[in-house]
Amino acid sequence: MLSTKTPNSVKQRSNGDRVAVLKSTEKRSDQWSELLIAVGENRDRQAFAKLFRHFGPLLKGFAHASRNEGWFPGLGDDLVQEVMIKVWQKAAGYNAEKASATTWIYTVARNCRIDMLRRKSNTQHLPLENEDFWHEPDEETPISLLQQKRSEDKVQESLAQLPKEQDEILRKVYLEGKSHAEASAELGLPLGTVKSRVRLALQKMQIIVSAEAQE
Amino acid sequence: MNTTTHFHPDETMLMEFSAGTLATAPSICVSAHLHFCSQCKNQLLRLNQIGSQLLSEAQPMAIDDSTFDAVMEKIDSGDLPAVSNARTESANNSLGFPYPVSKLVKNSLVSQTWKRLSGSVDIARFKTGQQEFEVALHKICAGGKTPKHDHQGLEYTVVLKGSFSDENAVYREGDFLVRKPGDVHQPMGAQNGECICLSALSAPIKLTNPLGFLMKPWLRINPM
Repeated sequence: MLSTKTPNSVKQRSNGDRVAVLKSTEKRSDQWSELLIAVGENRDRQAFAKLFRHFGPLLKGFAHASRNEGWFPGLGDDLVQEVMIKVWQKAAGYNAEKASATTWIYTVARNCRIDMLRRKSNTQHLPLENEDFWHEPDEETPISLLQQKRSEDKVQESLAQLPKEQDEILRKVYLEGKSHAEASAELGLPLGTVKSRVRLALQKMQIIVSAEAQE
Repeated sequence: MNTTTHFHPDETMLMEFSAGTLATAPSICVSAHLHFCSQCKNQLLRLNQIGSQLLSEAQPMAIDDSTFDAVMEKIDSGDLPAVSNARTESANNSLGFPYPVSKLVKNSLVSQTWKRLSGSVDIARFKTGQQEFEVALHKICAGGKTPKHDHQGLEYTVVLKGSFSDENAVYREGDFLVRKPGDVHQPMGAQNGECICLSALSAPIKLTNPLGFLMKPWLRINPM
């Protein structure tokens, strides 16, 4: 049998602590995060309806932007339903220290979209869903909410200023759901060029400091 | 778990993971690495912010009221598939492996026992529903030498337990390695205990003949 003995120590944190931390530092000011917390903590239906009105149309747009194998006309409405149901179900696990509501919903939508497309284009049984790859226990966040927010602002601000050639690749990857190899084929660029544009964009957004920072 | 890892997936690979465009087998390996590496986890939180920003700029599309009603109806029916809960499932994860690896061990092993690959290496293969890579666990016994081999395909390796070394470095828990076709190496298990690695090995390039039939070259691997 494949047995080994590595104990898995998982730090747990109660809901109460999370609220305390939120109050002690700068609060997430955006209304979506507050609404999501209300859904998680109080099963607040009005808050959920507001989230739905805001994110539903964006999620449908996100579904229609996808250019993957397996795309089908009803994908938009199906994705909206599946994502929003997951939002309702998982809202209690939302950790505002780690991500804004929009980022959290993005990750739910990304996983749902991939899994729906894979189910459509694959007849084989898939033992793993994309969600499984993101299945990490909720640990201490080593960076503070303030740092998180600065980084979100930086991403938002610098994304708007990226040269078109870099922006185009990020959109292909995140919105259309293309791999770097697919983007390189579509744009008629060598893969190395696509990757170096990606790295330049990440440096501008200060997601990576320099190529050497990873070593 | 936050041990210090020294070998990481490169940032373009993390981005593909963040966008969900990385293929299944390398995604399993990246996910396994993240289990050990808080540095990459942080970077990923930031990469997700790109997706988030682009989602919020997506062209909104009108939704029929019935969609909202349908969602509320499903929520109220109480007939929803259970969402997985990271905390309870981690607590039940006695192997201490990263989540997707534990799930594969539990449900998707090709055979329930280790298979001898060479004198000091055992292998346990997984079915992962894709054809490009063979995904498997390798166990190198303490001090075990593996045969010198070169790589016909691409190989991703993540150390899950123990350590091993080759001519260049020592690789410890969480380290993520990429071997490109043509790389030659001879890994050796550490003296002080067995080493378990997750690996995804791609098939050598598949050739098609002019009639379009897929000609399988001599495969040394078994993608499942």
